[in-house]
Amino acid sequence: MRLLKNFLIKIILMIIIFSSFAFSNNNRIWSAGTAYLLPSKRFEVGLFQPFRYGISDKTEISFHPIAMFISPNFSLKKSYTEFNGFSMASNHSVFYPTFLLKTIAMEGTGGILSPEFKDDIPQMFSIYNGIILSRSLTQDHLISFKLGLNLAVRFDDIDSRTTIDLPIVYSRLQVFYNGYGLRGGVDLYGKLVGKLNYLIDTDLFLYPGADESMAFEHKGMLLLNKSSKIQISCGYKLIFGSYPFGTQWHLLPVFDLQWGKN
Amino acid sequence: MKRFKKIHIIFIVMFCLIFQFCDPLVNKFEDTEDAQMYKAKSIQNIPTSAENLTFMTWNIRFGVGRLDWFGDCCGNKVIVGKHDVYANLEKVAELIEETQPDIIFLQEVDVESKRTGYIDQVQWLLNNTYFNYGSYASMWEAQFVPSDGLGRINTGTAILSRWKITDATRIQLPLREDQDALTKYFYLRRNLLKTKIEIPGFDDFWGLCLHLSAFSTDDTKERQLQRVFSELEDLEDATFVIGGDYNLLPPGADSLDYCDEDKCEDESFHKAGDDPQHKEGSYYVEEWDWLQPLYDRYHPAVPLAEYLADEKSYFTHTTKWDKGFWDRKLDYIFSNLTWIAGSDSTYQDACFDRDLSDHVAVSVKWEVTQ
Repeated sequence: MRLLKNFLIKIILMIIIFSSFAFSNNNRIWSAGTAYLLPSKRFEVGLFQPFRYGISDKTEISFHPIAMFISPNFSLKKSYTEFNGFSMASNHSVFYPTFLLKTIAMEGTGGILSPEFKDDIPQMFSIYNGIILSRSLTQDHLISFKLGLNLAVRFDDIDSRTTIDLPIVYSRLQVFYNGYGLRGGVDLYGKLVGKLNYLIDTDLFLYPGADESMAFEHKGMLLLNKSSKIQISCGYKLIFGSYPFGTQWHLLPVFDLQWGKN
Repeated sequence: MKRFKKIHIIFIVMFCLIFQFCDPLVNKFEDTEDAQMYKAKSIQNIPTSAENLTFMTWNIRFGVGRLDWFGDCCGNKVIVGKHDVYANLEKVAELIEETQPDIIFLQEVDVESKRTGYIDQVQWLLNNTYFNYGSYASMWEAQFVPSDGLGRINTGTAILSRWKITDATRIQLPLREDQDALTKYFYLRRNLLKTKIEIPGFDDFWGLCLHLSAFSTDDTKERQLQRVFSELEDLEDATFVIGGDYNLLPPGADSLDYCDEDKCEDESFHKAGDDPQHKEGSYYVEEWDWLQPLYDRYHPAVPLAEYLADEKSYFTHTTKWDKGFWDRKLDYIFSNLTWIAGSDSTYQDACFDRDLSDHVAVSVKWEVTQ
């Protein structure tokens, strides 16, 4: 916990330092995770990032195209008028994991869940509603704050032995065991040099009342905007979370190749 | 262009560095490394002298009793509820309390496995029996096994003792060579747990616990035994007891082929076209004399002649408890000192009637004055 506290202090200090520069950034492409929306008719998609599409200047939709077939998911982002110098957007998403979980409950290699639970996974889905506030710190740096509530709707009991005790996955599925959860975070995005940008992202998942009640995720990435069509990103993800076996840190490599078009 | 090339190199180097620092999914272990030390929550009644010492070996099947587990008895269960594991551990502790071994060699003890509710069974047994000290060596430690829903696993061998364990080493035994690379990466890595124990009256006493490969179809167990022999040769001037689940039959055993006894409903062996011809872990024909050197060099808890005179009374394992009693002997204790004649016990009825495990506990006594 002390390590986590030290780390959080450092992140907050960095935010304060960057806050000393005041500026604006209205670059709306490659802006996932901010309150900015894609320009109308533009889409962006990555190997691991969702497909995003600007329906209008005030509405954006997104979904994971490959995952869509086994775990239907859909997000809607709407932008609002500025609030005290902050660009503001709301994010609304729905996620249906039942079919995916039943698919991976199988014998042999690839069996992430035990096949004994195949028939016990109930029909369920989650609804997330959140708000994103973004503000430019300097001409080249942007800060975003996120906060949201995740609710699960379940049509039967779920066996607590069906959890997938892995980083990233556990914290995102925990809502189905706890019924609800909170998710908040701070992102810093900006230019380093030339077409090289950075992203520092922190997320906190809270599940009040659960035995395993929190997960903290931090991502640091270098983003190479080769053009408005291609972005290559590479970095790390650091995760501290509580699991049924206790708490654990994980460090994972992160890589993505994104393609966008107006 | 040059600058972009540099950026690409930075990307690749950064990615490789981060990948390098990431935790491996599976612990591949060193050849030798310190074993994990344990201590009971409260230390009680450490005997200051010892006359007769009782040693026991027992494969407790990760505290799931006779559950129809998918991996070893044609069952379909994988993940057991905490409540059921605690209930079975209570029964294991009960037999230990009744039989009062001074040192116990345990196999298949889970310490952090999803399949058994992440209960640290070594610590639980220390806290719920009279044992004071323990040592643990993992034979399978993976953050996630993506097969059959196993998930996170940490299981291995343990030694529990009334007296302090002052030194504990995990010695890696040779791996199976009859598996593909992916299976081998995620599969078990058997070990020999070697501990030095402060028994009153002994300057140099060593307790060793092992669990040899169960399903190998090549010479893995023979190679593992050779590694064990080299360790025992180093202890020639000391006193040692070695107990465990050897997954081998005694030389001269009446039956060497258990394919029919162990086969599941949808399996067929020995018939033309069957592939494989024999069930993994059930066919001992080629291994019939691999234990002979142990019988030749050391003192078995159950002398071979006694075993061969009445095999059934010494059987310690079965895979089909619903169809009959114990049907083979796999669990042994050897020492370089002689045992008290006739002091051995094979707890067949207690383990069978109470559904404690798929293995029987075996114990034997020593006279310290020797």
